Amino acid sequence: MKSFHAIRKNQILVGITLTVALVNLWMIYQVAPVVAEQEMAQKIFYYHVPLAWNTFLAYLVVALTGGAYLVTRNPKWDTWSLAGAEVGTLFALLILITGPIWATPIWGKSWSWEPRLTTTLVLFLIFLGYFMIREFGGPYERSSRYAAAIGIIAVLDIPLILTAVTWWAPEVQSHPQMEMGSQPASILNVFFFSLFSFTLILIYMILYRRHVGELIYRRLTREEGANHV
Amino acid sequence: MAFWTILVKDLRLELRTRESLATMVVFAAAVILLFAFAFSAAPAQLRSFTPGLIWITYFFTAVLGLLRTFGRENEQEAYDLLLTAPLDRSAIFLGKLAAFLILLLAAQLVSLPLFVLFLELPLWEAPAAFALILVVTDLAIAAVGTLIAGMSLRTPAGETLLPILLFPLLTPILIAATKATDAVLTGQPLENWDFWLMLLLTFFGLFVLAGTFIFDYISEQ
Repeated sequence: MKSFHAIRKNQILVGITLTVALVNLWMIYQVAPVVAEQEMAQKIFYYHVPLAWNTFLAYLVVALTGGAYLVTRNPKWDTWSLAGAEVGTLFALLILITGPIWATPIWGKSWSWEPRLTTTLVLFLIFLGYFMIREFGGPYERSSRYAAAIGIIAVLDIPLILTAVTWWAPEVQSHPQMEMGSQPASILNVFFFSLFSFTLILIYMILYRRHVGELIYRRLTREEGANHV
Repeated sequence: MAFWTILVKDLRLELRTRESLATMVVFAAAVILLFAFAFSAAPAQLRSFTPGLIWITYFFTAVLGLLRTFGRENEQEAYDLLLTAPLDRSAIFLGKLAAFLILLLAAQLVSLPLFVLFLELPLWEAPAAFALILVVTDLAIAAVGTLIAGMSLRTPAGETLLPILLFPLLTPILIAATKATDAVLTGQPLENWDFWLMLLLTFFGLFVLAGTFIFDYISEQ
């Protein structure tokens, strides 16, 4: 099997992703206007919010491919699930880091129980458990099945967690700055470009991780086959 | 039919050994005692802590109960034998869920008086409301608990994985149960906290449904 970056279409994807990411950086710092009351702190939203959207996209991949794996038992789907989970959890960690970075100067404290941030934290913890069951779950086939089930359960749990933490602390309102829809066009356009850029990064990372996952799976089955013979 | 068979089997096993119930009750009593000592400095503020204390105690108690009821199945590979029986897997899930629910409720029934005794829980003020919250929350805990225990306790590191997987998933339950209990303690009418009950019931419904489908796939050899 060829290495990921030796494949033509992947090289094109890398090229586009990298170019868009660089243009995105330039747009965030040069094109987008500096918001008066927040100054440079507002810039982090071009990372934070696209990361959040893509985290949920990645977790959706985990749940859908997890379901496909449970039904078909085709290891191909499991490599998709694992890739989605790893990239999604990395993105979730970045949300949890960028959120407090922004909140420290704006809200004057690093952690507030903002519903979406809290939901991300809970999801992050659930997915740490997900990796543990993959790691300590016994034989490959069984731990993959368990992981697929956890992935589905986690995604089903998202709306309930969000509802619960929203009602739990109604006094912590979402900051108006977070409503991207009510932003002026100059900010919104850059935001959507950033969203596009991060989605490309997500796709690239998932594809790459999936490719590696498949290599690992092949080596695993070859070794198992050798042991049995 | 298979549902009843599993339910009766689990309950009969429990009645003969009383192993899970005894463990859960003694554990709950020990935790309540610890809480009583830890919070004795502030009896005035105790009431605002009580809902959280109750539910943290019963979350841990539930994990202990799951460890016992499912751990027992691992002895002499009883669970593998159960799975080879020509039964509908979802019936196994629902049967074990119901048995665990009864067990958890029984453990709470025995240990709740200790909250009244040591932590001044005014249980008698609104017994019906407390009972309602208890049943609805236990339904939700049992649904996810049975599903997760059915997986994690069949893995080598099961005992440690169970709470790690279960507690984050149960976050909405802890919030809802604590808030609802708090509302009852502060004497609020039902319409002020019925949405927490709805959330708990939604949680239960969703995961019973999901569990019925998923359990079939996870409970293979």
